[in-house]
Amino acid sequence: MCEGMEVKICLIGMGNVGTCFLRLLKEKHDNIRVNFNFNCKLVAIFEHDGALIDNDGIDLDNLLEDYNNLRKNQYWKSNVKAQDLISTLDIDICIETTPTNPNTGEPALTHIIEALNNKIDVISSNKAPFYLHYKKIQDLAEKMNCLVKFEATVASCVPAISIRKSLIGNTISRIRAILNGTNNYILSRMATEGVSFSVALKEAQELGYAETDPSLDINGYDSAGKLVILSNELFGWSKSIEDVKIKGITKITPHALELAKLDGYVIKHLAISEENNLIVEPRLVKKDSPLNIQGTLNLIELQTKYAGSIILIGKGAGGFEAAAAILNDLISIVKKRRGF
Amino acid sequence: MIYLEVRLPDIPGSLIELIKPVSQNGGNIHGILHHHDKKINNMIPVNIWFELSEELIEVSLKNIKKGLMEKNIQLIKISVGSKNKILTFILTGHVFDTDITETIKRLDSKNIKVLELHAKFTEIDEISSVLMKVEFPEDMTKFELTNEIEKICKEKNLFLIRS
Repeated sequence: MCEGMEVKICLIGMGNVGTCFLRLLKEKHDNIRVNFNFNCKLVAIFEHDGALIDNDGIDLDNLLEDYNNLRKNQYWKSNVKAQDLISTLDIDICIETTPTNPNTGEPALTHIIEALNNKIDVISSNKAPFYLHYKKIQDLAEKMNCLVKFEATVASCVPAISIRKSLIGNTISRIRAILNGTNNYILSRMATEGVSFSVALKEAQELGYAETDPSLDINGYDSAGKLVILSNELFGWSKSIEDVKIKGITKITPHALELAKLDGYVIKHLAISEENNLIVEPRLVKKDSPLNIQGTLNLIELQTKYAGSIILIGKGAGGFEAAAAILNDLISIVKKRRGF
Repeated sequence: MIYLEVRLPDIPGSLIELIKPVSQNGGNIHGILHHHDKKINNMIPVNIWFELSEELIEVSLKNIKKGLMEKNIQLIKISVGSKNKILTFILTGHVFDTDITETIKRLDSKNIKVLELHAKFTEIDEISSVLMKVEFPEDMTKFELTNEIEKICKEKNLFLIRS
């Protein structure tokens, strides 16, 4: 791969993240060619009900003009599945962005395994396969001499995972993070407005910050999954979500927030990785602490041995944010394959 | 932090007599535990803990002891816990209905001293929140301390938020 100027990719899942990725790819096409010396050729797009496969490269202009053009295309095949066709494709990188079951990791897990079994590098924005089966995926990737990248799974475009290569001369001793924008928004509103949890949640739903079923967020499962991935990557562990002690935010009351405030604290839903322990729970944080961020932002604080605390803050969700992380992964895979 | 353990006669006004020499000698009282349930021969064990200015600690302690002796207050133990560590946490749930005094005593029995306590509630039998500041021994880790608090929380169905 990448010895010439063309990198062939397939996209599995053309939802919000997948579509944003294609838009970004189109926008950055010239930039990638000039700065990184390769062209990206999209040869397949898989959806739940079929696939568009064109070995000459799919016309992004036409496709992005109208999503319906996907199924109107002459190369569209109905009722075919990615896991059945990945082995038949001549591609270098498989990009996986399907909606995935948080408890099983499917169908993303199968797509990832299938791609790796066929010696195809993988980029994914799906958390579940990695917080459930991190070791299995990494072992297979190593065995097949493949690269697997998943920057978008933790805090989206905030370089939480890729910062590792910038800290190889240092030692990270602890991670403290706010990895769920919904929860941070709810707690911020409860603290500033004195509203109850249910009122703040409803507001978050109306603004589109929380899902109709917010249970994965408010019960801490989403943060726990991200913490597992981040800790495995930064500490070299092979843990799964079952190793995390998880507490959500549903039992936090306005009274608790008032008491915290009286003593100079705020309550934040923290994801903490320290001394081989993984914890997601509400914690009292000093009001003037850098962890006291507002709204839907994400934050990752890395306590390091030689440089103290290093903090990353940014938007942890959104289609283009995830898309930018995927594109980053794509460029880094190409660079690595070229020996950089 | 200074910890004082005394025996007081179970008569009105005796607690005031204990507090006087402490406060008159610059003691900033953080907490008092009155063990009515452990009364022996009409004498009640009382724990009191307070802060003293670092520079005056020796003189103040000497004067407090002298004041207690003058009032015939039986001094059992006095200790300076300056090396102890402090943790703040909030408990949410039926904190009062599940006997907050017993919660404090349970912590005390593990050498975890409640220094401060603030409460917020609408009705006494409704869900309430209590902020506690505790001091714990130097040889106890935060993890061990949290485990002790978690045990109580699990038993009493309370929700813990710690610093």
